Amino acid sequence: MLIQHLNPLASSLFSLLAIVSLLLSFVMLGSRWLNNYLYAFAAESWVIAALSAAVGYYGNYPELYLIAILTVLFRGVLLPYLLWRIVRRLEVSREIDVGLQPSSSLVIGALFVMFALAVSYRVATVFHLELSVAVLALTVMLSMKLIGFLMLAVRHEAISQILALLVLENGIFLGSQILVPGMPLLIEMVILFDLLIVVACFGVLVNYLVTHVGTTSTLALKRLTG
Amino acid sequence: MTARDLLLQIAQVLTVLLLSPLIQGIIVQFEERVQRSQGPGIFQPYRDLWKLFHKQIVIPETASWLFWITPVVGFTCMLTVPILIPVLTNYPLPLSDMGDILGGGFILTLGSFLIILAGLDTSSAYGGIGSSRAVMLSILAEPTLILVFVGITLLAKSMLPFVVNHLLVASWPTYWAPAHLFLVAAFFILLLVETDRMPIHSSTHIEVYMIEEARILEYSGPLLALLKWASAMKQFILYTIFCNVLVLPWGLSVAGTAIGALGAAVALIVKFVLVACVVVFVETAQSRLRFYRYQEPLAASFLLAVLAIVGTQLS
Repeated sequence: MLIQHLNPLASSLFSLLAIVSLLLSFVMLGSRWLNNYLYAFAAESWVIAALSAAVGYYGNYPELYLIAILTVLFRGVLLPYLLWRIVRRLEVSREIDVGLQPSSSLVIGALFVMFALAVSYRVATVFHLELSVAVLALTVMLSMKLIGFLMLAVRHEAISQILALLVLENGIFLGSQILVPGMPLLIEMVILFDLLIVVACFGVLVNYLVTHVGTTSTLALKRLTG
Repeated sequence: MTARDLLLQIAQVLTVLLLSPLIQGIIVQFEERVQRSQGPGIFQPYRDLWKLFHKQIVIPETASWLFWITPVVGFTCMLTVPILIPVLTNYPLPLSDMGDILGGGFILTLGSFLIILAGLDTSSAYGGIGSSRAVMLSILAEPTLILVFVGITLLAKSMLPFVVNHLLVASWPTYWAPAHLFLVAAFFILLLVETDRMPIHSSTHIEVYMIEEARILEYSGPLLALLKWASAMKQFILYTIFCNVLVLPWGLSVAGTAIGALGAAVALIVKFVLVACVVVFVETAQSRLRFYRYQEPLAASFLLAVLAIVGTQLS
């Protein structure tokens, strides 16, 4: 495995990139404006692309360069552009009624990071991954997933919810890049197309919400009527 | 204990005492210049203090003894802390063993605590408002401060500021480690809170949303001068901890000669000007928020401190 024999420079570079992407997901958690979510998500995708290029360079996986380019194109440019088009068409530019204030969700996110650290220590001891970069990758992966779930739970705008889903997916992708870098190229491409479909579905959902309910908040979807 | 160390210790306190109004003046002047106005000049705080010391003292009828001792105790606290931290030398001086970072934090908090009590003591409406706001902010800032101290302790395996300073000078990987960078960011937000330069603090001081100024509104003359000087010294001390312990640990006197101490004082001013530029930039670029959004920067600071602790666990 790659992470068993890394030189110190590479492992500190990986840690830095992983922590920067965690920080960017906290930017998404702590902000109220839809545009900020979008920019933070795009930046996070670029960081993750840099991470997979770095893993490819240090671990001699040439196919990871292709994955990095695909990540930049799909997650860094195409998905944010599609979402930006949806945001531009809507009148809402921020969350109106949030379930949880941004400051409280930041504190809860911090608690999630601690929980993720505790869990990853256990996981790392079970699988004999004593290296700090492995524990860090696990921690970042778990906490980005938890942050994604938190955003899904407390945000009501349709755009925020899809971005929460994408953050969740970004977390898994980041963890897999560091922990199992030799994942087949085909699976990565399938995931990327899945994401495209997710965004398209949400575009349809937003359109439905606007035309039939007159709002983009999923709070309005409480009634089950035929 | 040699005579030179004793002199250096006295010089540390004198540096803080005499240079703190200068730093205040530099920040105010920079701010005015950024806003394209003339500014009062960097020596204005000295002139203010001189003027206030030559005025008579007016005491409210409702004031008790607490009102009298607060400026004295606050001023003394700020004279005590420079003994404990590296201001000029990067090695501990004779009395530096009296307390660690936490002890210095306690003494700083004691000063603010008494000012809060004095604000309540006169039973004026503004004093009460100011004290309640200041308590609200410090309740939220205190856990973060403790977490930052815990992070520093985990990073350097010690709570003495001198050890942290030596560690950061000695090892570049530690300096650029995420744990250290997060600690710097968290402490920077705390620095803005403690020196009243948050987005919720207004730039004009006497107005409805004032926080610090409301507590000392009833003071006048030399007592007010002591309080103002003490707050300038508090700012100087926090800047010193920020620069000499966390961000720029270089440029301190190693041997303890007179030239070295003088050079360290000059280096200190240069570092402070750098930090002041950043502070002025943040204060100018960030639009002012209403008071009830005070939790957001503090929550961010708490988060950064937690990430720093996670970082120390992984390195």
